[in-house]
Amino acid sequence: MASFANPRERVPPESLIKQVTAVLRHHALWDSLLIIVPPVLALIYGLVFLRRTAWIGDLAFVLTVSSITGLGLLAVFLRVRPRIPSAATAARLADEKSGAKDHFLTLSTIDPVTCQQSFLERLRREAAIFSERIELKRDFPYQPKRWSYGSVVGSLIVATFIYFVAPLAEPMLRAAPVHERIREIAEKMAERPKLKGIAEALKALAAKIEDPKAPDEEKQKLVQEIEKQIAEQQKQEQDKNDRELLDQAANQLGGTEQQQSASGKDQQKDQQNGAGGIQSNLPQDNQGESKQSQGGSGESKGERTAELSQDMQQGKSTQGNPKETGQDKNQPNQSETKNSQPDPGQPGKDQNKQKADKNQGGSKDGAGRNQASEEPPQNVAPGERLYKNGEGKEGLKGARYVTVQLPEDVAAEVKGESMTGKESKGNRVGAKVPVSNVPLPAHVPNAAMEKQQLPIEYRGIIR
Amino acid sequence: MEPEQFQDVFQRLEAEVQKVIVGHNDVIRKVLVAFFAGGHVLLEGVPGLGKTLLVKSLSQALGMTFKRIQFTPDLMPSDIVGTEVLADTNGRREFQFKRGPIFAHVVLADEINRATPKTQSAVLEAMEEKQVTVFGESHILESPFMVLATQNPIELEGTYPLPEAQLDRFFFKLLVAPPAPPELREILRRTTGTEVADIVKVLPEDGGKLFKEMMLLVRQVMIAPPIEDYVVRLVHATQTTSQNGGQASVKQYIRFGSSPRGAQSVILGAKGHALVDGRVHVSYEDVGKVIFSALRHRIILNFQAEAENVSSDQIIAEVIKQVARD
Repeated sequence: MASFANPRERVPPESLIKQVTAVLRHHALWDSLLIIVPPVLALIYGLVFLRRTAWIGDLAFVLTVSSITGLGLLAVFLRVRPRIPSAATAARLADEKSGAKDHFLTLSTIDPVTCQQSFLERLRREAAIFSERIELKRDFPYQPKRWSYGSVVGSLIVATFIYFVAPLAEPMLRAAPVHERIREIAEKMAERPKLKGIAEALKALAAKIEDPKAPDEEKQKLVQEIEKQIAEQQKQEQDKNDRELLDQAANQLGGTEQQQSASGKDQQKDQQNGAGGIQSNLPQDNQGESKQSQGGSGESKGERTAELSQDMQQGKSTQGNPKETGQDKNQPNQSETKNSQPDPGQPGKDQNKQKADKNQGGSKDGAGRNQASEEPPQNVAPGERLYKNGEGKEGLKGARYVTVQLPEDVAAEVKGESMTGKESKGNRVGAKVPVSNVPLPAHVPNAAMEKQQLPIEYRGIIR
Repeated sequence: MEPEQFQDVFQRLEAEVQKVIVGHNDVIRKVLVAFFAGGHVLLEGVPGLGKTLLVKSLSQALGMTFKRIQFTPDLMPSDIVGTEVLADTNGRREFQFKRGPIFAHVVLADEINRATPKTQSAVLEAMEEKQVTVFGESHILESPFMVLATQNPIELEGTYPLPEAQLDRFFFKLLVAPPAPPELREILRRTTGTEVADIVKVLPEDGGKLFKEMMLLVRQVMIAPPIEDYVVRLVHATQTTSQNGGQASVKQYIRFGSSPRGAQSVILGAKGHALVDGRVHVSYEDVGKVIFSALRHRIILNFQAEAENVSSDQIIAEVIKQVARD
C-alpha cells in the first residue's frame, strides 16, 4: 500500500481507479488470510505436537501439513476470487470519497468509441480535479472484518489450549518402546523388596528385547519364565499395590509374548515361502507334512485335540469310528503339529501318535475326495461310495466339532465318571454327552428308512 | 454547441419564466428539460395554480409560436387539426386547408380530459406523428413541436380520462402543487400591484436551429453502462407480467407496469438534467430526479391500490428502495 502514488500529485483518474482496485484487492486478500490462516496455523501447531509425541510419523506429518497448507491456500484463493472488486466498484468508491457525481464510474465503464471525445476529455479533466481529494491511505484504510477477529481469537484459544494441555497429555500419547515400558515397570517393582527378583528378570528381558541380535526364541522363553514367576507371585501376594504392579507386568508380558510369537510366525512363513512350500487351502496329500514346521500357538490346541481323540477312541463318542476319523482334513494337521513339538510333560502322547499315524493315512484318501466331492472316490469300498463326508451306515462320521475346555475340577469329575461310564451308563447325563457339539441323529419312531442309497456322483444329476 | 452554452440558454429561459411564475422551479425546469428532449408534458393540478401562465410565459421566452386550445366536450378534431374550406382564389373556388391551432411550436391543451376521446386521439396522434392527415393529405407540424396538456384532478364529472396508451405518449407528468405561504405572498405582490413583468425573448430569430442543436446535445450526453442498467432494472421492477419483475409488495398494486417509453424518458430526462447541472455525463442523482415524473403516469394501478389509496409515486419510491444500484 505504501507503494501507491502520493495523493497530492495529480493522478490521472484512470490510474487512480486502478490504484483503488489494487487496494481493495489487497483488502479482500487480507480478509481471507486473516480468516483462513489462523486456523491453519493452529492445526499445524497441533500436528507439531502430535509429531513430537511420536503419535504420527514423519511422512504422515509432512503429508498432513502439506495438505492442510494446500487446502488453506485453496480456500484463500476461492474466497478472494469473487471478492476482487471490479473497476466499477472501485470507481463508485472513488466517487463517494471524492464527492464526484459518478465521474469515475462513467470514466471507468464507458466505451470511448461511442462517446464524443470532447465530452470524454472534459470528463477526464473534471475527474482529475476530484482525484486530488483522494488519499488512498486515509480514504481506503484496511479494517479487519468481524470474522477475522473471530478467526484469530479462536485459533489463539486453540493454540493456547494445545500449549497448556500438551505437556499433560504427552505421556498418554507418547508411544514408548516395549523395552522401555518393561524397564519402567521393573524399576517400580525394584522398590518393593518382594518383587526384586521379578524386577531383575524384567530388566534382563528389557535388555534382551532391546538387543536386536538376541534370538526371538530366547526372548520368548524368558518371557514365559517371567510369566510363571509372576503367576506364582500373584498367588502369594496380598498387597494390593504389589498385585497391581504384577498385573501390569503380566499384561505387558502378554502383549510382548504375542508380538514375539507373531514375529516368529512371520519368520517361519517367510522361511516356508523361501523353501517353495505349497501355498494352497486345498487339502493335499502332503499338506500335513508341509505344515509340520508350524508350531507356537497351535500347540495347546493340538494337546486338547489329542485328549479328545483319545477319549473318542476309548468309546465315549457315539459316532466314533477310528478308521474314518482321519478323513477330517483338519484334525490330522493339528495332531501332526503336536507331534512336531512334543511336550514331555504332556500325557496321552502315545495315543496321539497312534492316532496321528491313522489320520495321516486317512488324510490321503480324504483329500482326494475333497478335491472333487462329486467324483467317484478311488480306493474306497463300494459301500462307502454311497456316503459323503460325515455320513455312514451308523450315522455321521468324521464330523467336525469344537473342543470345549472344561474347568479343571469339572473336567476331572467328568473324566472320572466317564471312566466308569460303561458301568454306570445312564446314571448321569453328563457322562454320555460327548465333549463336542456333534448333532445326534434325530430319533423318529416308525420313520421310513431311505430305501435306496444313491451313489454320490449321481446325486446332483438325478436331483 | 458547447455544454456551457446550453446551460446558459437554459438558465436564462428559467429565469424569464420565473419572472412570471412564482415557485414551481422544479416544474419549470422539467418542462424545459422535456422540451429539449423533444417530449410532451402533462401538467396536473387544481385550477388557478398558473399552469396556463407557465406555458404562455415559456413560449414567449422561447420566442416561438404558441396556441391554446380549451378542450370542451363539444370540441371536434377538425377544430384542432384544421379542415378543408371552400375558398375563392382568382375567380376560382377551390378547397383550401385551413390549419387548426395544432400548428404551432407550443400548444397548450387546456383541460385535455374534458374533450371526447375522438378529439383527444386527434391531438395525441399529432403528438406522436408530428403530422396531421386531413382528407387524405398529410400536413407536417411545426418543429419544434411541444404539447403541454393540463388536467384537473377534481371535478371529474363529464370528463374523459385519458386512456393508458395516450398517457404513455407524454414524456413527463408533472404535478403542480399549491404554492407555499412565502410563494403565495410573492404571487400576491406581483399580481395585485401595478408592476407587470416583461418577458424577454431568449432564443434568437433563428431559434429553431439553436433549439435543434440543444436537442442534439442532450442526446450526446454520456451515460455509464451501470447507470443504464440501473434504469433498466427500475423499469423492469414495475412490470408485473415479467417473471423477474418487481417484488410482491410492489406487484400487488400494479395492473400494468412502465413501457419502454418510460425508460427512454428517464434516460433522456436524466441527460437533460446533467447538462443543466453542467455535466456531460449522467449520474445516479439525475436518474433519481426524473424517475417520478417519467414513470408515474406509466404505472397503472389496480383496484387494490385505489382502495388502499396507494399512489404511483409510492410505488416508484418502493421500487427505488428495492432495486440496488450495483
